[in-house]
Amino acid sequence: MLFNSYTFIVFFIIILILHNLPFSWRTKKINLLIASYIFYAAWNPPFILLLWLSTVVDFFVGRALYTQENKHKKKLLLVISLIGNLGMLCFFKYGGFLLENFTFLVNAIGFNFHPAKPNIILPAGISFYTFTTLCYTIDMYKKKSKPVESMLNFSLFVTFFPHLVAGPIVRPPQLVPQFESPRKANTQQLFQGLFLLTLGLFMKVFLADGMLSGPANNSFGATTALQSIDAWMGVLAFSGQIFFDFAGYSLCAIGAALCLGFVLPNNFLYPYAAVGFTDFWRRWHITLSSWLRDYLYIPLGGNRAGKYRTYFNLMVTMLLGGLWHGAKWTFVAWGALHGIYLCVEKLFRDMRKSSAERTLISSPESKVIRASFVPEINHPKNLKNFILALGTFFLVNITWVFFRSTDFTSAWRMLHSMFINNPKNTAVLTNLEIYKVGIIIPLLLITHWMMRNTQALSVAGKTPWWLLGIVWSVMIILILLSQNASSAFIYFQF
Amino acid sequence: MKTGNIIRAGTLAIILSLLAAATWEIYLRHKGNAIYYDDNEAMWAHYRGMVYEPSDESTVFIGSSRVKFDLDIPTWQSITGNHVIQLANVGSDPVPYLVDLADDKNFKGTLVVDVTEGLFFSDFSPQDVATDKKINYFKKITPTQRFSFQVNHILESQLVFLDQERYSLNSMLDKLPLPHRPGVYPGPDFPDDFGVVDFNRQSYMTSRFVADTILQNRVKAIWVCLGRVMAAPTSSAGKLDSFFNVIKVATDKIKSRGGQVLFLRTPSSGPMLEHEKKGYPRTKYWDRLLAVTRCPGIYYADYPSISNFVCPEWSHLKPDDAVIFTKELIKILQKDKGWTFSKKSNSI
Repeated sequence: MLFNSYTFIVFFIIILILHNLPFSWRTKKINLLIASYIFYAAWNPPFILLLWLSTVVDFFVGRALYTQENKHKKKLLLVISLIGNLGMLCFFKYGGFLLENFTFLVNAIGFNFHPAKPNIILPAGISFYTFTTLCYTIDMYKKKSKPVESMLNFSLFVTFFPHLVAGPIVRPPQLVPQFESPRKANTQQLFQGLFLLTLGLFMKVFLADGMLSGPANNSFGATTALQSIDAWMGVLAFSGQIFFDFAGYSLCAIGAALCLGFVLPNNFLYPYAAVGFTDFWRRWHITLSSWLRDYLYIPLGGNRAGKYRTYFNLMVTMLLGGLWHGAKWTFVAWGALHGIYLCVEKLFRDMRKSSAERTLISSPESKVIRASFVPEINHPKNLKNFILALGTFFLVNITWVFFRSTDFTSAWRMLHSMFINNPKNTAVLTNLEIYKVGIIIPLLLITHWMMRNTQALSVAGKTPWWLLGIVWSVMIILILLSQNASSAFIYFQF
Repeated sequence: MKTGNIIRAGTLAIILSLLAAATWEIYLRHKGNAIYYDDNEAMWAHYRGMVYEPSDESTVFIGSSRVKFDLDIPTWQSITGNHVIQLANVGSDPVPYLVDLADDKNFKGTLVVDVTEGLFFSDFSPQDVATDKKINYFKKITPTQRFSFQVNHILESQLVFLDQERYSLNSMLDKLPLPHRPGVYPGPDFPDDFGVVDFNRQSYMTSRFVADTILQNRVKAIWVCLGRVMAAPTSSAGKLDSFFNVIKVATDKIKSRGGQVLFLRTPSSGPMLEHEKKGYPRTKYWDRLLAVTRCPGIYYADYPSISNFVCPEWSHLKPDDAVIFTKELIKILQKDKGWTFSKKSNSI
């Protein structure tokens, strides 16, 4: 079910009513669980079986992992969980990709192997709920938190509809305790949730789908070299589109949960105001980057095993992060570029390490934090940092070329068009499309820069109520006028 | 956050939004606009799902815009008692839809294929992407999309401003008088009154359009412009052979399951007709189509009762003529092609 659909509006109204009726907390949780399954099944009912399988296996394996004292048995249980979760992900998401590459390799060494192309449908949100359940079993293995005692709470943790399909990727301690005692949004929280829902839908329906998807699709859909302005406008449009689409989804998720009285973690923090790539990954898809940090980068050793190993760990993390987005080499290239950016940035930082920073990293605990590729945010206030932020945005745009292009040929063609202008090349964008991108993207950058150290709700709280009301109604009216109710969120495919 | 601040803001937002929507709706109605429907993939998929009705109870139409304008569905249904499933699409090549139905083993019904030569026989189809989108939408439709369609139908039936083609923000922005970029064709800008759509997917011209020759001339100018692109019939003989083979295979599949296929050439007039005659000589295309597929066909010029229509913009019938055309078409189908309908058609 899409947040930007009439079905969701009807569904959500029913859920809100049910959640506010005087039922017992257990009944309300059962309602939410059933609603979450309906939310998921509304997309493709048979895939709900996968969700059940994942939930049941990880609930019991997680509990056994926590209580098992025998190291070998414990490892075996972890392997079972990893095979179960990652195996499912590999089959559905990477099955075709692996077979395609295997076929290419065996043919390259002389074998004549041409298997039928598998017709595998990717279950919605499999990457998200697999990561949600994986972190639970790994936490149980490490005894980082206690096992969830109730199957109902665990099922709801995995399946809770706001985060189920496209995140934010939640950790058990963030959500499970919220199911343990009765929760209901007060009027203030309800309106805050509705505000976030409106803002998220405005970003998705009006900005991403209504204004930016057209220019992005036209530019990236071209089969010939483009004039530079068309190429740049297309890439900038996609930069805006993917942010508004995914951050919009996250806001809808957080807002929907808040309307029911639950708090989900923030997923975006004005990423296009990032100064450098460590800062960018602290602001973009925060729950994924922190997941990768905690369950991949740090277990690989972080920066504790020497300089070169740190670079290696960063690259592995980002390459796998790229592959997580999709079974295509262009996504790997996207991850590789981010990995390279992070390594280069780290190299410069190491070279310029100040004595004050050396003091900071002296304790072993902070060393681990610094080892991550998402360190604490700096608070730049000057022009130099603004220029650095623009430079970061420029480099991020290069990575989006690989992310959005269907293959490397298209990506190289787009990059060539961006940097070498030939007036004889094709023009695909209308003046109107150029104006849309030319207005929205600078406004996006200015907004990100101004809001970089704050959050939407706190700004809303400081705004006079009448002004907030007017802004809010403008967003609603623009959503109504956009009338793009059926377009899926980009991150659903991941 | 100050308690109550966001509650007051939210209340104000709801009031202002309702006021704005109501004002916009009243304004549009005051200007004489009626309820029209978005002819999108959801609506197409809704009707595509109906093709499994018994063949004696329904007739499926595929093709381009002409059959959408020229077939008056209420007239057809009231005379024949037979349900029209209109699957034709404006500016589209019907062949992918024919192949889609042929490949659907559950389709055993009666199919009428509208033939607009410039779209049916040429390599040119401005709506290829939309065609794929519609067929894929139907194949992958989800329960939530079905439900959303029903809710949307209820709302669209009440509110004029929910007409996406005319009053969505992008449609209105597209009408801004901005200069065109050299080399970028922004797409045809049809007058709003040219092709409004009913819930049964019938397209028709509004009375404003029928009365206004300036609007008609605007559409004629678009045909002239498109004609330059569409004037390229499938060039090589080999390509044409394989094209006819695709059609033959598709029609054979439907007939082998007990279904029937009929080709229909609806009226056109003026320079458009001359252009079509020149680009697609009847013997080379239409006659061969019927010979290869062994399917019956109705070419409007062969029947005096439907051969003298004048299309206001050369290509489509006005609503009054569509009613006459439909009545005559039914007569021809019964008398000349031996079709029978469940309802007696004495009233014709």
